[in-house]
Amino acid sequence: MPQVRIIAKNFMDMVASLPAMKLDRLYHNSFICEAILRSLPPLAKKYVLQMIYMEGPFPAKSLEEWVLADGFSKHKVAIDRLIQLRVFMETTERKKETSYRINPTFQSNLQKHLTSGGVLPREPMPSNITVRLPSLEELDAYALEQWECFLLQLINSSQAEKLTNFSSSMIRVFQRGLLSQRDNKDAPRLTESGFQFLLMDTNAQLWYIIREYISNSEERGVDPADLISFLLELSFHIMGEAYNMNTLNEIQRTAIKDLADLGLIKLQQGRKESWFIPTKLATNLSVSLTDSSTRKQGFVVVETNFRMYAYSTSKLHCEILRLFSRIEYQLPNLIVGAITKESLYTAFENGITAEQIIGFLQQNAHPRVAERIPSVPENVTDQIRLWESDLNRVEMTLAHLYDEFPSRDVFDAACDYAREWGGLLWEDSKKMRLVVKAEIHMQMREFLRGQKQ
Amino acid sequence: MGHGEKGRPSKKPKFSSSKDDLPFDDDDTYFADAAAAEDDLRDGDKEAKKRDFSKLELKPDHDNRPLWACADGRIFLETFSSLYKQAYDFLIAIAEPVCRPESMHEYSLTPHSLYAAVSVGLETETIVAVLNKLSKTKLPKEMVDFIYASTANYGKVKLVLKKNRYFIESPFPEVLKTLLKDEVIGRSRIRSENQHGNDGFMISKAMGEIETSHDELLNGAELAVAAEEKEAHSFEIDPSQVENVKQRCLPNALNYPMLEEYDFRNDTVNPDLNMELKPCAQPRPYQEKSLSKMFGNGRARSGIIVLPCGAGKSLVGVSAACRIKKSCLCLATNAVSVDQWAFQFRLWSTIQEEQICRFTSDSKERFQGNAGVVVTTYNMVAFGGKRSEESEKIIEEIRNREWGLLLMDEVHVVPAHMFRKVISLTKSHCKLGLTATLVREDERITDLNFLIGPKLYEANWLDLVKGGFIANVQCAEVWCPMTKEFFAEYLKKENSKKKQALYVMNPNKFRACEFLIRFHEQQRGDKIIVFADNLFALTEYAMKLRKPMIYGATSHAERTKILQAFKTSREVNTIFLSKVGDNSIDIPEANVIIQISSHAGSRRQEAQRLGRILRAKGKLQDRMAGGKEEYNAFFYSLVSTDTQEMYYSTKRQQFLIDQGYSFKVITSLPPPDSGADLSYHRLDEQLALLAKVLNAGDDQVGLEQLEEDADDITLHKARRSAGSMSAMSGASGMVYMEYSTGRNKQGLAKSKPKDPSKRHYLFKKRFG
Repeated sequence: MPQVRIIAKNFMDMVASLPAMKLDRLYHNSFICEAILRSLPPLAKKYVLQMIYMEGPFPAKSLEEWVLADGFSKHKVAIDRLIQLRVFMETTERKKETSYRINPTFQSNLQKHLTSGGVLPREPMPSNITVRLPSLEELDAYALEQWECFLLQLINSSQAEKLTNFSSSMIRVFQRGLLSQRDNKDAPRLTESGFQFLLMDTNAQLWYIIREYISNSEERGVDPADLISFLLELSFHIMGEAYNMNTLNEIQRTAIKDLADLGLIKLQQGRKESWFIPTKLATNLSVSLTDSSTRKQGFVVVETNFRMYAYSTSKLHCEILRLFSRIEYQLPNLIVGAITKESLYTAFENGITAEQIIGFLQQNAHPRVAERIPSVPENVTDQIRLWESDLNRVEMTLAHLYDEFPSRDVFDAACDYAREWGGLLWEDSKKMRLVVKAEIHMQMREFLRGQKQ
Repeated sequence: MGHGEKGRPSKKPKFSSSKDDLPFDDDDTYFADAAAAEDDLRDGDKEAKKRDFSKLELKPDHDNRPLWACADGRIFLETFSSLYKQAYDFLIAIAEPVCRPESMHEYSLTPHSLYAAVSVGLETETIVAVLNKLSKTKLPKEMVDFIYASTANYGKVKLVLKKNRYFIESPFPEVLKTLLKDEVIGRSRIRSENQHGNDGFMISKAMGEIETSHDELLNGAELAVAAEEKEAHSFEIDPSQVENVKQRCLPNALNYPMLEEYDFRNDTVNPDLNMELKPCAQPRPYQEKSLSKMFGNGRARSGIIVLPCGAGKSLVGVSAACRIKKSCLCLATNAVSVDQWAFQFRLWSTIQEEQICRFTSDSKERFQGNAGVVVTTYNMVAFGGKRSEESEKIIEEIRNREWGLLLMDEVHVVPAHMFRKVISLTKSHCKLGLTATLVREDERITDLNFLIGPKLYEANWLDLVKGGFIANVQCAEVWCPMTKEFFAEYLKKENSKKKQALYVMNPNKFRACEFLIRFHEQQRGDKIIVFADNLFALTEYAMKLRKPMIYGATSHAERTKILQAFKTSREVNTIFLSKVGDNSIDIPEANVIIQISSHAGSRRQEAQRLGRILRAKGKLQDRMAGGKEEYNAFFYSLVSTDTQEMYYSTKRQQFLIDQGYSFKVITSLPPPDSGADLSYHRLDEQLALLAKVLNAGDDQVGLEQLEEDADDITLHKARRSAGSMSAMSGASGMVYMEYSTGRNKQGLAKSKPKDPSKRHYLFKKRFG
């Protein structure tokens, strides 16, 4: 099984990795142009805005003159990003003079968008048709519940109360790399990346799933670019408003059902019409997928006695905490657990690292303790690290064993030789045996051959 | 009122998680089981029992309420709640604190704790009402049932000594009737001539509870009920039958355990002792609080007060004696602390010099006049063998006197049978037990509850640290890797008996210890105590480092000399102590402890040792939270990695960790660049040391056999020997032994013999 490395960087990395043709096609949609603009690093944003009404190529040298000497690294990052996204196109003149020109499709669409403003393909439905829309709180709760349900199903927990509509094949796609099954009899186990996945924040998790969803789209006969453009478009909808389903095309309609399962969308049906309501998760897409610094409120208090109190009603939280601690009490809005050596060893065995656990505890520290420095008691973090390093005390070195030396002289000489090369790992002078590092095996052999003669 | 009667006395509490339907009557099994369940939970039982109470109903305004209550008796309290202070005072009265770190406290409702709650005057209805008010969720039915069931019988009956007549008193005449149906009690009743009512009970107005701190949590109507004056019904019993009657009332019989109260103000028979607290003795707030629990209704209650070491237990004891103003018998664990108690009495109270006396094997004083204070050891009183003529007379006096107060120090150390003996030998109106740590690995604490009385007060260590009343200690666990050679021997099967000696004598540990001593002596000018349970190690370390040491066989005179030198001399900054130093040796100067070997997994020992340095030092403002010095005392526990010690160390720290202390792990001591200036740098030195350990006899390298307490859980299961009574005083060297006062003893005490471990062996053989 290919080991999926989870890089929950952002949505735009994925956009950037699309082939040039598809990327250019994306820029026909002015909303995508805006989303791309928003996602850029500040300096890159400035370049785009300054060059938006500039026709023709612009020499790189002149661009560099805008920057102070100490800002050059930022400049480099900005330019790289722009080129990656094909917002800037690099042209090299004959005299090796590099110059940039802004992507014409991008340019004209953004110009239009700036002057006339964007118009979504659909308008919110009037409230006389949609009866009783959920309040924003209800919507948030719904999104969270849906997302948790999905995650619980994803990790095959028996705690999931209801199942999503995802086909089992789709779920399996999501699980790829997160779960592993030794053979069919065993229940699938979370892999290392699976654990890491669970410890990430919601935005990062969401992004991972969306990425899998997009990259798998071709198998379902859907163009990833269509999907990306729809997702970006969706992020410009207003949270809590109802949008008519009949404004969607076939691909979008299928996609929206999946998104509803993830909690990005809430579907409702009236007497005649049916509509969808974007939740926080959907409208945050373009913001959150680029900027994962928006923190949700923490909920975990860790005490110096290794006890852990989590203010949470979520079963998922409970499952996550169970990965590295012993859950002792579950109360309506509190989970009480203890971080023990045994519970940590289980976690380490499953490939979770001490840093991930500590990171999780620190990122999710309850506001009461979050201001405290450190938010997780030092003795606890120290101990977690020490327990981890305790497990990593055995170091493997490739080596060769030599024995049956013809005489003590040869043995001693061999030992000295190995020592000189810094490759002697072990010697037993009684039985005349020694172990040397694999690197010096060849020299050693040569040396011993020389000794024989 | 009588709500206690209708309070479902037959209901069996569903409390213990493992066996749900244990009958309540079967008290001992019940407690043991609860304790075991508790232990399982703490100590990482493999199938960690999950307790899912997520179905409890949250109250809509749960944010404003400070606690959660679980059906199995566990209570979680938010310390940042605005109601924390009230909730804390309340919980400490009704529940046993499990752990009290910074943000979240855990408590556990147990039959004991409820017994204590009832005995300080809280009523069942009040407990449930206040708890319900504070809880974020609706109270689980199991908990309410449990409270009713536990308090149905407790605290209903009091044994009162009035004018030297014993009365059994209760606000509920029905309860008294039930008691009288019992044959033993019925027979011991003395019928008085002027009988009131048809039951023949005497009726008197009992004083209402003075303390009303919990009432503010109740609304007006409930308050009115709580404050109503109570009528007390009583009948008199035969003084000679008191013990039997008490026995019948214990949980294994009638299950109406009696509270003992002493109406000392109206006691005209026993002569008053003229003693007052000196004006300079200003009890601190928590000391006041503990006393107010004891004297809450104008009488003196029997019970236990738990204060950390160094928080001023003796002042509480002396204050109690001053309030009662009757003869007082004060029991301590050894002769050194007898001296200290006598000193404390003189320091804090206006007692006349001739009215206080010590009674030990060395000093046999008698007070003058008809009332006074006697300070002695448990051993002296309970000793069963032949005594000298002189001490036989004194003991006879002690037995015959009616004591106003029986003051018992360090109650956690003394085994139950000792208490039984002491308590049955002496007649006292009120018993006050003092201790720092109410943990025993053998859970014998149950006995104390019924022998002395309920726990009246327990202070929160962290609060005292914050208030600057006890030192703020930096605790550290120093990890010392075993040297290759020592570890190889450690792993060999034939060295199984020497394991401890091997990991204690680990050269890396020695170097770490030497480094720490040097650092604290030279850089900070601290006074250091080094603790070692292993006698072999103690002598080796002390000899090598040229420091004085005290252990079981060190004579009283020499101990006093060494301690004096440690307190006053600039030359003596470090002393080595064996187990004898764990308890009640008062060394206020010390502020650093280095522990090189310890008694397996004893949580209590760890806490007691820490207590040696808790006495607050320096200026108050420096110690207060945010003061100049963050830490002013240091506690190092040296542990050899990869050995049994690691396991024990974690266990040992549990109590302190539960009190909110944290242990920092130090892995790089001594610093790698410290070379030959510390001992055992060269391999041949280390090997010589190893040879010494290996050549020593198995009995020499073992633990010091003081047999002072039966507080073992580990390693050597039940290392309780039958003859332990004679060695019980906490220091075998001071055991009551008249026959050794002659030449023999002088010979022993003269100077350190060349081979102390050998002497110890002899010592064991002779007196063990």
